[in-house]
Amino acid sequence: MRKTLYSLAILLVSLSMVLSACASQATPSPEAEVEAPPEETMEEVTLRVLVHQNPPMVEFMEAFNQKFMEKHPNVTVDMSVVNANDLATVTQTRLTANDVDVVDMFAFTNAALPYMKNVEPPNWQTLIEAGYLLDISGQPFLNNYYPASIADAGTYNGKVYQINLGTVSYSGIYYNKALFTEYNLAVPTTWDELVTACETFTAADIPCMTAGGKDGWPIFVGAYGLIGSLYPDQAALVEGLWTGSIKWNDAKSMEMWDKMKVYAQNMMEPGASGIAGDAAPGRFASGAVAMFSGGTWYAAAIEAAEPDFEWGYIPFPGSDNPEDNKYLFGKYDQGWVIAANSPNTEAALMYLADFSEPANYQEFANTVGFFPTQPGATLDTQIGQEVAPYLENFRVGYEQYWVAPKGAGQYANPWASYFQPFGEFDDAQELADKVQEDLQSGLDASQ
Amino acid sequence: MMAYHFGRGRARLSPYFFLIPGILLYLIIALGPSLATSVFSFTDATGIRGAPIHWIGLENYREFLLLGQASRDNYAALGRTLIFCFFVTTIQFGLGLLVAMLVNQRLKGTNFFRTLYFMPVILGAVIQGLIWSLFLYPLGGPMDQIFEFFGKRSEFFGGPASEAFGWVIVVQIWANMGTTMVIFLAGLQTIPDELYEAAQIDGASGWQVFSNVTWPLLTPSVNTNLLLNIIGSLQAWQLFLVLIGYRNGTQVLGYLVYAQGFGQTSGSMVNPFRQGYAAAASIVLFFLVLVLGMVTQTYLRRREERILG
Repeated sequence: MRKTLYSLAILLVSLSMVLSACASQATPSPEAEVEAPPEETMEEVTLRVLVHQNPPMVEFMEAFNQKFMEKHPNVTVDMSVVNANDLATVTQTRLTANDVDVVDMFAFTNAALPYMKNVEPPNWQTLIEAGYLLDISGQPFLNNYYPASIADAGTYNGKVYQINLGTVSYSGIYYNKALFTEYNLAVPTTWDELVTACETFTAADIPCMTAGGKDGWPIFVGAYGLIGSLYPDQAALVEGLWTGSIKWNDAKSMEMWDKMKVYAQNMMEPGASGIAGDAAPGRFASGAVAMFSGGTWYAAAIEAAEPDFEWGYIPFPGSDNPEDNKYLFGKYDQGWVIAANSPNTEAALMYLADFSEPANYQEFANTVGFFPTQPGATLDTQIGQEVAPYLENFRVGYEQYWVAPKGAGQYANPWASYFQPFGEFDDAQELADKVQEDLQSGLDASQ
Repeated sequence: MMAYHFGRGRARLSPYFFLIPGILLYLIIALGPSLATSVFSFTDATGIRGAPIHWIGLENYREFLLLGQASRDNYAALGRTLIFCFFVTTIQFGLGLLVAMLVNQRLKGTNFFRTLYFMPVILGAVIQGLIWSLFLYPLGGPMDQIFEFFGKRSEFFGGPASEAFGWVIVVQIWANMGTTMVIFLAGLQTIPDELYEAAQIDGASGWQVFSNVTWPLLTPSVNTNLLLNIIGSLQAWQLFLVLIGYRNGTQVLGYLVYAQGFGQTSGSMVNPFRQGYAAAASIVLFFLVLVLGMVTQTYLRRREERILG
């Protein structure tokens, strides 16, 4: 019996050791000292970097990592690439598992504003409050960036947690210059001109517009110009929706829904829902379609797919008044954060510092097509030139402000993809009523 | 009377000590997380370790079952789960039985066909999804060309919710029919040939042989398949994730749990992770599976007793 008890005791001790090992990961320490030691004293480290799938960016990062490792021979960079839709999940999982050092994280947006009731805080806020992101306030490389970008996209409660790497626009259209010339069409600056252009191409059996619809959102993101031409101040739009001064089924919004129906049913090519996000630029560059509604980040992929292909980029003309169509809507895109738990904080800070050097950042901006957040940098590529005339009218878009109230239905957003053939609806009024009803239900529930 | 093989006195307890590792493993891996889920369902947990967790009582259940249009959408997802279960169970069951009877014939090539029909089972959900995404590619994929031949068009997985949902049912059946077939095949091979010979001598027709010999003696396989199909289809979510993603009007409860727990993504909006709320949804799903599973099992047990005695 003594032997049995002895065995049992060993078993219990072993089990408790296993459980202790599972639970022994360090408590997050966002306030950790982050002063880098002299590099020669650093041990061999493997720096674990997580980025999302964006072919030009991944290509740049691979080259940058190589340069970084040559400069810092004691550091090996181990970079993982995940689908953009999975980035939030993988980030959360790897941060909590203490399995990553540097993460590509989208800018801090969708904060709960004072007029919003009964909403959940965004993930980035929860991660900061749980102590998973390193406070990088005061790091010298922050001075390389526009203070506004640091404040707007990477700061929370007065502390800096992210350097944001650029802004992008998602409310424009790429157009095929050769096809527009061949069919004697002017580049559309109004909705009517866009409709006419599409009718012309469709009559010639050329699909008017494509998008990487397999990922879902590219179908509706392309139509942001329709929302933007009606509501150029998208922060005010979100507040209006929350306070009830704007409704998705009022007369003004109905104009948007009627046009979205045309966009989904007459402009977007049938089958677009099967095209993967990173395949769409290639399809456009092949010359098979006349236009491609999408973000500026696709420019590099279009050029890579067909370097000689001639294209242009314009704001989506959602209104018949050209003055309403001068806006480009977009967002602060990706940034870098460092895991507070990282055992490789010094190497991670060196990584961000090297990345932020003007020459490296300039190359990054040109490769990826971001509008720079460093004062000295310019976007020297074609997309930079195409967008330059509209940059003074750049606005942060609805998606970056919107937070849905709890209880809101699944249709409480202005997406063109709700229309057939991509969605269930065929009647614009019916859809507008449904969207407003779903939103109102959440607003009523939050009172 | 059988002798007790584990000694006398305190030594009689030794089997229980040997059971301890297994029980602990079960507690840690299976029961523990299940109990934790039910506890989390009363909190606002995000799943982010270190984030504050508050006890909010029945709030998650109130929100899931009663709050606004979102709760009505949840009921719609519940209904969709039952529809999915009904179609997958009945079609997969029927097809599995039919195919098992075909590949149980003494014909050349039956091993090849058994392997062929079972092969989808060994592919993971991602591979299954990739195969069907290519097969149903709406810009010239094989099925698109068949549709085009008949003058039809479809966006398949990217089309209206009801259509996309129907295609997921097809893929789910394709992916799992092999398991149903193998269980039936095993059952068919336990039926003695003498019974078939006797039936033939008695002049029984093919249908009479099936209904009076095959079907009753397949009862254990029928029961196993029905239970597995019902529970498997009620819990399905991976194919929805791989084939459709977060799309209005297509979610079943299993996918809803995933989407709420890990923040469904729409455009550049990533919704907050709500694992407390997802835990409440999973408890609702658990009770649905439990009730349907128990009702089915009770019915099947009585049926088995009635048929096999």
